Amino acid sequence: MSLIQDLGAQLRATSDELPTGLVTVAMEKLRGATEILMWVRETSQDPMGVPQLGNATEAAERAAAAIRVAQDAIAAYLAAIGLTGDAAAPPDRDWKAGLEQRPEVRPEGGDDSPPADRLGPWWQARVAQLTGEPAPKDDSDQAAPGGQAKPGGDTADLLRRVASGVRSGDKAKVGRDLHSADAATGLALSAMTSPVLHRLAGDLLGHEPRPDDFERLRSASAGRVRSLLPGTSPAVLETLLARICRVPVQNEPDRPAGHPADNAVTAGVLTGVLLARLGRDASSLDPNAPDPLRRPEAADAR
Amino acid sequence: MASVAEVKAAVNAALQQVSEGQAAIQAAREKLGEAQQSLAAALDGSGNDAVSSAHASLSQADQSLEECLGATSLAVEQAQTYTATL
Repeated sequence: MSLIQDLGAQLRATSDELPTGLVTVAMEKLRGATEILMWVRETSQDPMGVPQLGNATEAAERAAAAIRVAQDAIAAYLAAIGLTGDAAAPPDRDWKAGLEQRPEVRPEGGDDSPPADRLGPWWQARVAQLTGEPAPKDDSDQAAPGGQAKPGGDTADLLRRVASGVRSGDKAKVGRDLHSADAATGLALSAMTSPVLHRLAGDLLGHEPRPDDFERLRSASAGRVRSLLPGTSPAVLETLLARICRVPVQNEPDRPAGHPADNAVTAGVLTGVLLARLGRDASSLDPNAPDPLRRPEAADAR
Repeated sequence: MASVAEVKAAVNAALQQVSEGQAAIQAAREKLGEAQQSLAAALDGSGNDAVSSAHASLSQADQSLEECLGATSLAVEQAQTYTATL
């Protein structure tokens, strides 16, 4: 390897390792937290930290944009020194960043706060409403194959189990798996699925989702989502698809905040629907699974 | 009907996500620091505009992440103050 090749390899490695995935995870976590607080504080005049979380999310978005500019600058430098082949965009690994296991963290000063499992009945009641599947009568009935969600919450595992139920068309299993999760684990589906949905939709379409793909994705997913979640509002799915397709969201100040479980549950099921459309198993969501190749065009998204 | 305990638990579920976001931001800042050092070592002596742009962008990203952390701390404080009044 020549000196210039060695320099190029170092720079490419530095660019590839920039923490775009971590920043994406952080943004989605903050959005998920905002969604829950918006619902909790509805009609209350106390801001409860929501504006600050909005500022935090915007700052994270600026950081993500600055990192992309840095990657472009490194690519431009590589091209300028004659290493054009090395200046290709790095492989997209961000979409799985949220699925990786991270050390458990506790909320600041949250030791005396009621644990999120106090929300169990609240979560289960909403899951029952959305899925039409009643909550199991006792804990021993809740264990889905693979067992209950791990203490502290393993949202990635929950997502894979839900996706597996969706793939097999087993509505009862989807309901059981969602019921078996504690509220915090279930609510975290919103944050975890956002980049995954974007990637899966892109794979299905054969290109990055655009605003004019909204109808294609809706026709590819709405029927199946509706059959698995008869109690969900079509507006929840439409909002998710609009985010995937980067359709500008219309602000409707009079519209009440949605129930945070609706978004989380629908996002989990939509992930399974898109995976099924792609003919992939839930195991492909394992962070260590090889990245599937993108198809050039997708006829079944029509 | 919701109870105070349920409201507090819901806020705590949100704060759990904020904490996980903060952990991701801190990890991202560490990675950014490593990248800045690596770039500085590899590109020492370069006068190329793209190099200056890369350095400036990474500094900007780090500053934005610092602002993000500060805003999340304020949000946590405000949410906890609210739940303390319940």
